[in-house]
Amino acid sequence: MPDVMDKSVLELHGVRKSYREDDGAVLDVIQIGRFTVGPGEQVALVGESGSGKSTLLNLIAGILLPDRGEILLNGTDVTKLAEAARDRFRAANIGYVFQSFNLLQGFTALENVLLGQMFASHGSGLERATKLLETVGLGKRLHHKPRALSVGEQQRVAIARALVNEPSLVLADEPTGSLDAKNGGVVLQLLRRICAENKHTLLVVTHDPKVQEQFEKVVRLEELS
Amino acid sequence: MNLFKIVVKNMRQRALATWLTGTSVALGVALAVAILLIKQGVQQRFEQGTLGYEMVVGAKGSPLQLVLNTVYNLDISPGNISWKLFEQLRDDKRVKLAVPFSVGDNYHGFRIVGTTDSFFKEFEFEPGRKPELAEGRVFNFSEAALKSAFQEAERRAREREAKELGEEVKPAAEPQPQPKDRPFEAVIGSTVASETGLKIGQTFIAAHGVQPSAEAKEHTENPWTVVGVLAPTHTACDRGIYINLDSFYHIEGHEIRRPTAPEKPEEKDNDPDPGQVSSIVLKLRSPIHAFPLYREINDRQDAMAAFPAAEIRKLFDIVGNIDRLLLAQAILILIVAGVAIAVSIYNSMSERRREIAILRALGARRATIFSIVLLEAVTICLIGSAAGLAGGHLVVAASNGFLYKASGFVIPAFHIQAVEWYILAVAVVLGALSGLGPALGAYRTDVARNLAPTS
Repeated sequence: MPDVMDKSVLELHGVRKSYREDDGAVLDVIQIGRFTVGPGEQVALVGESGSGKSTLLNLIAGILLPDRGEILLNGTDVTKLAEAARDRFRAANIGYVFQSFNLLQGFTALENVLLGQMFASHGSGLERATKLLETVGLGKRLHHKPRALSVGEQQRVAIARALVNEPSLVLADEPTGSLDAKNGGVVLQLLRRICAENKHTLLVVTHDPKVQEQFEKVVRLEELS
Repeated sequence: MNLFKIVVKNMRQRALATWLTGTSVALGVALAVAILLIKQGVQQRFEQGTLGYEMVVGAKGSPLQLVLNTVYNLDISPGNISWKLFEQLRDDKRVKLAVPFSVGDNYHGFRIVGTTDSFFKEFEFEPGRKPELAEGRVFNFSEAALKSAFQEAERRAREREAKELGEEVKPAAEPQPQPKDRPFEAVIGSTVASETGLKIGQTFIAAHGVQPSAEAKEHTENPWTVVGVLAPTHTACDRGIYINLDSFYHIEGHEIRRPTAPEKPEEKDNDPDPGQVSSIVLKLRSPIHAFPLYREINDRQDAMAAFPAAEIRKLFDIVGNIDRLLLAQAILILIVAGVAIAVSIYNSMSERRREIAILRALGARRATIFSIVLLEAVTICLIGSAAGLAGGHLVVAASNGFLYKASGFVIPAFHIQAVEWYILAVAVVLGALSGLGPALGAYRTDVARNLAPTS
């Protein structure tokens, strides 16, 4: 294997994903020749709406399987893992931040973060969850349910949840898409800062030019094919 | 954080649906438990109640009616039988004990039973258990006084007949004994004492008929004095008022009517029947005498014999069908409750799909999601069943007051039956079955589609 592969956290080779439409026509959504992300790197993956950015994140997370190709995370090809093993692998190695936060409404901020630990085999306990919430500025809102939090606060809970298992890769799907400019800026800075401090690799997909501006490495999805 | 905490959170989030479905399970289980408890308790008590009554003898009619009337102080007497028959049976070598009973009056709904002192001295309502006095004494009884009372009852009957026919009433040849010369004494059951407040030395006036009625004639001229109170027996005895049999026949309305005297002297009965009683309870010297004696009595034109235990078994064979119907109804309620749980979870699936997708994205396996939904259905069923079990016992406990008033016995309401564990097991299976469909739906949830922003 080439040297660069040994240093990469994430590598995609010849990944293709297509969907069959209602009329039977095959729609290619993802076609990637090669894409790598190194340890601790922060990358903005940009593309138009509907270009397959979210699908790509789901492929990397092992939620979807590609029609063909390899997706290696820390050297493990997630496409070769059985579904249950893929789930465990995802819980332990990937943190996921969504555009619409995706917090469970019946659970408090702390419980939402603890949920992130529940399915990882190396859950690090209440102390880390509490500390992370304090880090994102929600030390006094631990026991508030999502409805009692502002949208900015909700996304900060989601960030804490994504980071609670100390994942090697953090995926963020339009993390500022549901926030106003001010909140979006604060949340993105927070996410980038914590990832940098903890040496988590960060891959953010966005179509927002203001978000792209903050990243040194910006990759256009259409350039990967 | 664990699976059960997620289940509890889900249930709390849909509290109304959880309560409604849980309550429907509880109702079904409570109904089933109450039916089983009442059926078993009543049957046990009724069967226990027959232990001291080996055979009862009464007028031709329904054997069950005779048993209910004599053993349980329920229903009405099928008619009277002759005192001569009582004497024959009492003197029969096969009979260990014969106790006569006459009924026809009540006090505040409690049946007044005319009998002899042998009911207290020799009769055992259960093997080895005689009716014991909590206080006071047994009434005075003499057979001579009874014979005299029979004569007086017959004289009153003749006078009434003569009046009805407009004939002249002939005065008695010799002075007749008056009621006031006789002891009008009563021994009351424990329930009668507690319900009516009657105490030793107090008097009461009986009303005609075995059931209370506004129109019933009261025997105001002859009050009875309470001379004894029985200790609780937890049988129908507790609801009885026992009076000396001779006083029963001194009462207006308790006449002894005889067939019109035959015109031909050769047809005249040289040994006329001195009186009548409603029924006779027999204890035999040996069980081998039971069937021959039973057949002999039933071959007669004027009486029949019945085995209380057999009649009660027949009764419960009939009632058993009703039990099964009620039980089937309870099972149907449980099935409907199970369907309600499935529908309730199904209805919430659209909002759950997003939560399921989030959990999957966090690393939850399909099997974990399946387990969460299944566990929720089972938990609702288990909680509902536990509440239903408790509710069933409470219903029985609450109805015991009514049952005691009506029958003199109570059902052990907090006795846990083995079948209740089966009910719990059935509830778990029902919960699992009702949760199976929604759990499969959850298992198949498309994660990527449900993670997408909704707006």
